[in-house]
Amino acid sequence: MTARLLRLELRRNAMVWMLPLLGLLFWLVAFRRGVAYPPLWNIRATSMQTAAVSVFAPSVVGVAAWIGSREGRHGMTGLLTSTARPRWARQVVAWAATTCWALLAYLVCVGVLYGVTAAQGAWGGPLWWPAIVGAASLPAFAAAGFAAGALRPSRLTAPVAAVGVFLALQLTVQLIHGDRSHWQISPLVANPWNLGADQGVATFYRYLPDLPIAQLLFLAGCTAALLGVVGLPAGSGGPWLRRSAAAVTAAGLLAAGSAAALAGTARIDPHGMVAIPVLHRAADDRPVPYTPICAGTPVPVCLHPAYAVYLPAAVEALAPVLGAVAGLPGAPVRVTQAATTYRSGPGGIGVARAGEAWSRTPTEYRLLLPSQLPGRTLTLEQVAAAVRADAGRDIVASVIGAARDATPAQDAVVAALLGTPASVTDPDAAAAAQRLAALPPDARRAWLADHLDALRAGTLTVEQLP
Amino acid sequence: MNVEITDLTRRLGRTQAVAGVTLTAGPGVVGLLGPNGAGKTSLLRMLATVLPPSSGRIRLLGLDPGDHRERRRIRRRLGYLPQHLGYYPGFTVVEFVEYFALLKEMPAAAVPRAVAAAVERVGLGGQARAKLRTLSGGMLRRVGIAQAIVNEPDLILLDEPTAGLDPEQRVAFRALLRDLGGTGTVVVSTHLVEDVGAACTDVALLRQGKLVFRGTPGELTARGEGTDAAGDAPLERGYSAVLASAAQAGTDPAQARP
Repeated sequence: MTARLLRLELRRNAMVWMLPLLGLLFWLVAFRRGVAYPPLWNIRATSMQTAAVSVFAPSVVGVAAWIGSREGRHGMTGLLTSTARPRWARQVVAWAATTCWALLAYLVCVGVLYGVTAAQGAWGGPLWWPAIVGAASLPAFAAAGFAAGALRPSRLTAPVAAVGVFLALQLTVQLIHGDRSHWQISPLVANPWNLGADQGVATFYRYLPDLPIAQLLFLAGCTAALLGVVGLPAGSGGPWLRRSAAAVTAAGLLAAGSAAALAGTARIDPHGMVAIPVLHRAADDRPVPYTPICAGTPVPVCLHPAYAVYLPAAVEALAPVLGAVAGLPGAPVRVTQAATTYRSGPGGIGVARAGEAWSRTPTEYRLLLPSQLPGRTLTLEQVAAAVRADAGRDIVASVIGAARDATPAQDAVVAALLGTPASVTDPDAAAAAQRLAALPPDARRAWLADHLDALRAGTLTVEQLP
Repeated sequence: MNVEITDLTRRLGRTQAVAGVTLTAGPGVVGLLGPNGAGKTSLLRMLATVLPPSSGRIRLLGLDPGDHRERRRIRRRLGYLPQHLGYYPGFTVVEFVEYFALLKEMPAAAVPRAVAAAVERVGLGGQARAKLRTLSGGMLRRVGIAQAIVNEPDLILLDEPTAGLDPEQRVAFRALLRDLGGTGTVVVSTHLVEDVGAACTDVALLRQGKLVFRGTPGELTARGEGTDAAGDAPLERGYSAVLASAAQAGTDPAQARP
C-alpha cells in the first residue's frame, strides 16, 4: 500500500518540474568548473561536492517546503485528517518521493561528471566519498524544507526556506576558522576549507573518510530529527507514533550533535586531509601504490600517473636543461614527482614538498608540480614555465654549484640554460648569457663539460663565457 | 446504531457551535437541516473525527473515536465530504480518488477496481484522466463524492454535497444517496430542503447548535400544515414552522419539540 502511495506521489511530485533547472544549474556551477580542472578524481570529486550541494540544497529545500505545505495551502487538512493513515506516515511518503527525485537528479548529474572524468582517463578509481556526502545531504535538506512547510504552511514558506538555507550554508563556511572548527561538518566541506579544492590531496594517499563519516552521521541525524519534528504535533498520529517521533527526534539530535562534536576534534593530517582521531584508521595513512609514467628522455622525467596530463609540459620545460647537463656530475639520473605535505599553523595551512628535493643513490630530483600547490588553476603553459623556473633552476644549480652567493658567471650560465638570458641584471653577465644561449645545444653542452670544474669552483669569469 | 451521540457540545472560541445534541442513526439517509451557523458543519466534523467534542459522548459504528485504535478503525469505514473540498490541482480524477483510497487503508489489490467504480458512480468516467484544475465546480464536487464513497463506507458524511451541481446531476446524486443509504448510514448536511424530501429517510433540524426536530420528512411536512410558515413547498413550510417554533421558545429549548 505504501509502495502504491509512493508511486502516486512520485508521479505528481513538484520536484519533477525542477529537474531541468537543477540540471542546468549543475552544469553551470559544478560541471563546467569541474571539467575545467585536469582529469584528476580528487579535485573533480571534491569541487563537485561543494558545488553540487550549493546548487541542490536551496532547490530541494524550496520544493520540499512547497510540498510539505500543500495540505494547508489547499485546505485539505480536515479531509485528510478523516482518513485512517496517520498524518506522519502520509507526510513521510511525500517527503520520500521528493527525496527520490532529488537523488535521481543528483545521481544523473554526478554520473555524467564522473563518466566524463573516467572517459578522460583519470587515474585510479572514482572518489566516492564526496559523492556519497552530497547524496546524503539531499534527504536532510528535503526533510528541512518539508518540516518548514508542514509546520508553517503558506505560499511564502518555500521561497523563504530556500533563501534561508542558501544563506545558512554560506554562513556556516564563513565561520570555519582553523582545522578544529565544528562548522566543517557542513556538507559543503570536502577538504580543509581554508585549502579549498586542491590537486595535491588524495592522490599519493587515500582520501580520508573521517570527515565524510562524521558528515554522514550529522546528515542522518538531521534527517531523523527533522522528520521526527513533523510527527510531534498533536494529530500527527496516535500516542505510540508520536512517542516514536519524539524518540526519532531525540536520537537524530544526539547523532547530529555528536557528529558536530567530532568535527571539532579534527586536525589536518600531513597529507592535507581532515583526520578525526576517533574515526581515524591507521591503514588509511598508507600511500597508494602506483607505477610512475616516464618520458623517454635522456634523463627520464617520471610523474605520478594521476598527473599524466602534465608530463608533456614537464618534459618540454626540463628537456633543454636536462639535455645540457645529462651525465655531468651533480645532474640527476632521473626526475620523479614528490608528494606534498601540509601543516596547519597560525597563519593558515603551509604546503610544501614532502621530503627533500634531492635524493641520493641514485641522484634523483624530486619534482613538485606547481599545480600540486593550492591556488588558482594553471594552464599547461603556466605549469611548464613554473617547472622550468623552479625545477630547472634547481637542477642547473646542482650541476654548476650555484648557491645563493652565485658568481655572475654562474648566474649567466643558469639563465642561458633556462632560456631566460634577459633575466640577468648585470649587463655583462646578461650579454654572456645571450651568447651561451645562442650556441647550438651540442656546443653548449661541450663548453659546459669543459668548464664545469671552474664553474663549480667559482673561478670562471663572465668574460670567459663563449 | 452506526451513530450514537449523547449530549454533544463543541465550543469554537466564544461561540457554542454545538450545544448538547443527542442523536442516533442507523442505516438510511439522515438529512441535517438548519440555517447558517446552526452547527451542522461542526457536528459533521465531529462525526468525521476531525474535530474533537468539548464534551459529550460519541460512538460511531459501535466504536469510540476517542480511542486512537478505534478511531483508526472508524476512519477506514468512513466517507467524508467537507463543505469546502480542497484538492491538489495537478492530480487527475483517478489519482485523487486513488490517493484517498490508499489513505483509507484499502487493500492495495482492491484499489484500482474500487476507484474505477467510484468514478463511474458519480458520472466522471469520461473525465477520469482529467487534471482536477481543468474541472468545473460541479465536477469537482462529484470528485469529492467519489473519494468519500471509494472505500464503500458504512458511515458517509456529506457537507453540502449538491452545492454547484446542476439539476440533472442533483437528480442523479439523490438516486446515489438512496442507494448508499440502503447499506450504510448517510448523514447529509444541506440547505436544500428538496434534497431532503427526495432522498432522506430521516431529518434532523439544528438551530443555534441545538437539535430542534428529529423525524421523517413526512413528519416535518406535517409541522407546517395549517400554519402560515414561509415556503414554496410543504417540506419548506414544515422547516420554517419548526424554526419559528424554536425561535419562539427562545432560550428555553425544552419548549421546542425535537
